[in-house]
Amino acid sequence: MSFGALHGLGGLAGGLLVGFLAAGLDRILTARLQSRIGPPLLQPVYDVVKLLGKEALIVNAWQAFCACTTLLTAALAWLLFVLQSDLLLVFFVQAVGAVFLVVGALASGSPYSHIGAHRELLQMLAYEPLLVLVFIGMYLETGSFRLEVLFAWPRPLLWRMPFLFLVLAFALGIKMRKSPFDLSACHHAHQELVRGVLTDYSGPLLALTEIAHAFEVALMLGFFTLFWPGWGVGRFLLPVAVWAFVIGVDNATARSNWRWMLGTAWGLGLGLAIVNLVWIGQG
Amino acid sequence: MDPRVLWTVVLMLAPFAGAASCVFLGRSPAGRRAVVLATGALLIAAALALLGEAPFRLEIPPGLRAPLGVCLTAADAALLAAFLYYGAKYRHAGILLLTLLQAAGLVVFKGVLTRSAAASGGIVVDGLACLMVLVVSIVGALICFQALPYMDNHERHYGVSPSRQPRFFGVMLLFLGAMNGFVLFHDLSFLYAFFELTTLCSFLLIGHDRTHVAVRNALRALWMNSLGGVAFVLGMIEAFRSSGTLDLAGALAAPRLEGDATYFVALALLGIACLVKSAQFPFQGWLLGAMVAPTPVSALLHSSTMVKIGVYFLLRLAPGFPGSFLGQALALAGSFGFLAAAGLAVGQSNGKKVLAYSTISNLGLMFACIGVNTGSALLAATLLLAFHAVLKAMLFLSVGAIEQHIESRDIEDMRGLYTAMPLTALITLAGVVMMIFPPFGVLLGKWMAIEAVARHLPAVVMIALGSALTVLYWARWAGTLLSDPLGGRFHAERQPVLTWLALGSLGLGGAALSVAAPWIVERGLAPIWHPAYGTAYAVVAGGLESATGSFAVLPLSLAAACGLALSAFALHRAFRARRVPPYLSGLQTGEGASFRGPLQQAVRVAARNYYLDRIFGEDRLNPWVNLGGAILLTLILGGVL
Repeated sequence: MSFGALHGLGGLAGGLLVGFLAAGLDRILTARLQSRIGPPLLQPVYDVVKLLGKEALIVNAWQAFCACTTLLTAALAWLLFVLQSDLLLVFFVQAVGAVFLVVGALASGSPYSHIGAHRELLQMLAYEPLLVLVFIGMYLETGSFRLEVLFAWPRPLLWRMPFLFLVLAFALGIKMRKSPFDLSACHHAHQELVRGVLTDYSGPLLALTEIAHAFEVALMLGFFTLFWPGWGVGRFLLPVAVWAFVIGVDNATARSNWRWMLGTAWGLGLGLAIVNLVWIGQG
Repeated sequence: MDPRVLWTVVLMLAPFAGAASCVFLGRSPAGRRAVVLATGALLIAAALALLGEAPFRLEIPPGLRAPLGVCLTAADAALLAAFLYYGAKYRHAGILLLTLLQAAGLVVFKGVLTRSAAASGGIVVDGLACLMVLVVSIVGALICFQALPYMDNHERHYGVSPSRQPRFFGVMLLFLGAMNGFVLFHDLSFLYAFFELTTLCSFLLIGHDRTHVAVRNALRALWMNSLGGVAFVLGMIEAFRSSGTLDLAGALAAPRLEGDATYFVALALLGIACLVKSAQFPFQGWLLGAMVAPTPVSALLHSSTMVKIGVYFLLRLAPGFPGSFLGQALALAGSFGFLAAAGLAVGQSNGKKVLAYSTISNLGLMFACIGVNTGSALLAATLLLAFHAVLKAMLFLSVGAIEQHIESRDIEDMRGLYTAMPLTALITLAGVVMMIFPPFGVLLGKWMAIEAVARHLPAVVMIALGSALTVLYWARWAGTLLSDPLGGRFHAERQPVLTWLALGSLGLGGAALSVAAPWIVERGLAPIWHPAYGTAYAVVAGGLESATGSFAVLPLSLAAACGLALSAFALHRAFRARRVPPYLSGLQTGEGASFRGPLQQAVRVAARNYYLDRIFGEDRLNPWVNLGGAILLTLILGGVL
C-alpha cells in the first residue's frame, strides 16, 4: 500500500476519532456543568453502533440516498483537508454534504423535518460567507489557498487575523448546532422542533448522519490548526480552546431565533471579517 | 470552395434560409419539423466543422463591400422602421423616442463621420468566436428541437387556430442567425445591425402569445433594449472618433492621446449596452417579464442567445480596459448583480422566476470577472459562459416539460414530482447539482472566479454572500422535487423523443464537458487570453492548478461517480425496506399525512417551504436593488466623463 493511501486511511480514522471524542467530551463536560456524572467517553460511538444494527425504517427512500451522500462527501472533505488539497475546494465539498442532509429532510412530509431543514439552510446561509471570508483572509496573508502552503506557513496567522479567528469560532458554533445556534436540530429533542432536520432519519440512516457530523466537526476544528505554525502543542491547543469555549457558551445561553442568528452573522461577523481583511490587505 | 468560407457562410445564412422556408413550408407540421431539424443539424455540423478550421480571419472581398454596405444600411433602416411601427402601433412614447435617437445617431454616424471610411472589419474566427458559435448553434438548435413538440402541445392547450408556429420557428431560427452574425463579424457597424436584430427577435418571441401581459412585457423588453441600442450607437460613434476605425480589434489597439477620454467613454457606453442585454440591475425587468413567453423562448433567451451577447461583447472589449477605473466599476456592478439577484431568487416560489434570477446572478458573476480583468478572471468568465449556457438551457427545458405536465411552474406544486415524472425530476435534479456542486463546470468556474477576485475586497464579500444565497434557493428546490408523496418503482414517463433528445444531450453533454474541463480550459479557453494575459492554469494529474490553488477535477469526478453508485445502491435498498409514515407527533390515521387530533378528528398536515419574502420579497428589495444598480451605472459613466 502506498504512503498516500495509508495517509488517507489514517486521516479518516483520525477524523472519526476527533469527531466522536469531541462529542463524548461534550456530553461529559455538559453533564458536570449540570451536576450529573454523564455517560462514558465513547457513548457517541456506542450509540452509532447500536443505530447501525437497527432495522431501516424508511419514510422516503431518497433519504437513504441523501444520508449516504452526506456521509461520503463529509468524509471526502475531511480527506481533502488531511491530504492538504485546496482550501476552497474543501469548503465546496463539505457544502455538498450539508445540502444533501437538508434535501433528505425536505423529502419527508413531516413539518418538523421541514422546519428543521429550512433552519439548517438558514444556518448555512449564516456560516458559509463567514468561512469563505476566513479563507480569503488566509489567502491574502499567505498568497495561497493550498493547504500545504498554509500548514507550512512559518508565522502565526492568529496575530494577523484575530478577528477572522473569532469569526471562525462563530461559524464553528453554528456548524456544531450549539446554543444559541441550535436552531435546526440539537443533541436533545426540543419540544416544538423534535429533532428538526434529523427527525425522519432513523436507525442506520441516523447513524450515517451522525458519522458525517463527526467528520464535519473534525474539519471545522481542523481549520483552527491553520492559525498556529509548527507541529507542537500550540497548533492543537487552539481548536481545543475554541471547542471548550463553544461548549461553555452552549451551556450558558438559550436558543435564539434565526433572525437574530442571521443578523449577527451578517452584521457583526461580516463586520469583523471585513475590518480584518482590510487590515491584512494593507499590510 | 474554401471550407472556412463555406462553413462561415452556412453558419450565418442557414438560419436565415431556415427562417424564410419556415414561413412558406411551416404550415404543415411535417414541413415545419423538416425545416427546423434540417437547419439545426446543419448548424451543429457547421459549428463543429468550424472548430476544426479555427483560428482564421476572412476579409470581405473588395467587390462585395459596397453591396454589403448597402444591405447593411437597408437592414438598419428596416429594423428601426419596425421599431417605429411597433412603437406607433402600441402608442409607446419611450420606444418611439429611443428609436428616433438611434436613427439620429446613425444618420450622424453614416452620413457625416464614416462617409469616407471603408468597411474595415472582416470576419474573425478565434477561440472566443468559436466558443460562442458552438454555444449558439448547438444549444440553440437543441432548444429549437424541443420546441417542436412543446409548441404543438402549447397550441393544443390554448386552442390556437390557425397555427402561429411558422412565424414562431421563423423568429427562433432568425435569432440564431443574428447571434452567429454578431459573434463572427468584427466590424462595429455590422455588430450594431445584429444587435438590433436580436432585440427585434426577442420582442417578437416574448409577445408571441399576444395576451395582454405578453404584449406589455414584450414592449418593456423593446424599450429597455432600445436604451441599450442608443448606448451602442453612441459608443460606436465615440469609438470611431477615438480610433478612426470600425474594426473592433483595431479600435481597441489604436494609439490613444494622453488625457483623451473618448476611448473610455466609448467603452463605458458599449459596456452599458452589454449590461442592458444581460439584464443587469436596474435593467432586470425585461428578462423577468420575458418568462410569459412559451418556455423554449425563455430557454433560448437565458442560455445561448440574448443575455450572452452582453457577456461575449464585454469579453471582446476586455483587453481594452485592464487596470482601469471602468474595470473596477464593472466588477462592483457585476458582483452587486450576483448578490442582489441571488437574494431575489430566495424570495421566489415561481420556478421560472428562480431560474431567471439565477441567470441574472450568474451573469453578474461573469461581469465581475471581466471587470477584474486578469487572465484567470477572464478565463473564469469564459468557462462560466459555456457551462451556464448548457445547464440553463437544460433547466428551462425541464421546467417547460414539467409545466406542460402539471400545469404549474410553482415550486410548491412540484412536490412529489419524482412520482409523477421520475425521469424529468431526475434530470432537473441533475441540473441543480451541476449548477452548485463540485466537480462540475459551473462550480469550477466559481472557484476560478473567487481565486481571481480575492484581492478585490467589496467584490469578494458580495460574492461570498451571494454564493450562500445561491446554495439556499437551489437546495430548497432539489428537496421539493424528491419530496413525499413518493410512489413505488421507477417507471419513466412518456415524453416526445425530441424532448428526451434535448434534455439528454444537454445533461450528458454538461457532465462530459465537466469531466473534460481541465483540458478544455488548457487547450480551448486559455489560448484565447494567453497572448495578452499569459497562462494562469496548468493541467496536473487531471486537475487544474494555478499558482494559488488546485482543483482536482478528474479525481473528484471519479470519487463522485463512485459515491453516486454507492448512494444509488442505498436508494435501491431503501425502496425495498419497510415504509413508515413521517413523524407527525400524533397517532397517524393512515390516510395521507394526517393524524388523530382532539376528539378523534383527523388533522391534515401540510408543510411549505420558507421563501422569506419579508426579507427577500420583490416588493421589499426591488427599490433598493434598482437604486443600487442605478448608482453603479452612474459610477460607470461618471468615472469616464
